[in-house]
Amino acid sequence: MTSSVIVARQFDDSDQQRQAADLGIWVFLASEILFFGVLFLAYTVTRLHHPEAFATASRQTDVALGSINTGVLLTSSLTMALAVRATKLGVRRAAIVFLCATAMLGLVFVAIKGTEYRHDYVAGLVPGLRFSFAGPHAGGVELFFGLYFLMTGVHVLHMLVGLGVVGTLAMRAARKAFTPEYFTPVELGGLYWHLVDIVWIFLYPLLYLVSRT
Amino acid sequence: MIAHPVPPVRTYVAVWIALIALLLVTLGSAFVPLGALNPAINFAIATAKALLVTWFFMHLRSGHAMLRITAAAGFFWLAILIGLSMTDFAVRY
Repeated sequence: MTSSVIVARQFDDSDQQRQAADLGIWVFLASEILFFGVLFLAYTVTRLHHPEAFATASRQTDVALGSINTGVLLTSSLTMALAVRATKLGVRRAAIVFLCATAMLGLVFVAIKGTEYRHDYVAGLVPGLRFSFAGPHAGGVELFFGLYFLMTGVHVLHMLVGLGVVGTLAMRAARKAFTPEYFTPVELGGLYWHLVDIVWIFLYPLLYLVSRT
Repeated sequence: MIAHPVPPVRTYVAVWIALIALLLVTLGSAFVPLGALNPAINFAIATAKALLVTWFFMHLRSGHAMLRITAAAGFFWLAILIGLSMTDFAVRY
């Protein structure tokens, strides 16, 4: 089979090269699972120590914006998956449209998150900066919001990296960098985007849905 | 020419519909007082959503077994991290 793929000399063929890249990104993603894992562990232990405070604190978050943002991110995963699909099929125009849609949805997510941060600041829920929540569980509420900003902050940081990746992929796709034989950067960028989505899938109930009844 | 088969668009759309449905179920269930079941439902639904994303969007279904093993290893070590920490927590408090 003639191929447009440049195969690095350490690989037998383009298939082996692609499999190595897939394995590499999955090893990275597994390390990312553990990177976020310690934060989820810290959250779990703190919540077990302060169950009432976490229930109170979670009710201070904006469940409407949080739920909308979850929908936005799930939808961005769909457009990303369709972008990878279009790239593999060699439908360049569709790939570019889906990559841009993914980036737009990512930007919407970050913008909504920024709005929430602003509300949190105004409400005095930012530990160390502007924290004025008073009540029987104020200490535990402060711990919740410390974790809230740490976890969502690190997640948003990943979103910004993802936006850079998706934007770069869109530009490279427009310059005809990808073919049905060579689509590894789109595939790997997509896998990263989906993992950031998965992290949010777990953050959403832990931060917004602790106690709504 | 096309060496790499892809799933049909309807598979991806069906997964997305399932994801949005699960989001609505988890959101709705949070407003029903179920006690300890509430966090259990939330966690189960989050896990289901994560499985849908990894299996279909991240192509673990069609990918090399090595990739499934690597992904499972990540979650396995996470389970050790949280599981062993919880035994310590359970014994000490």
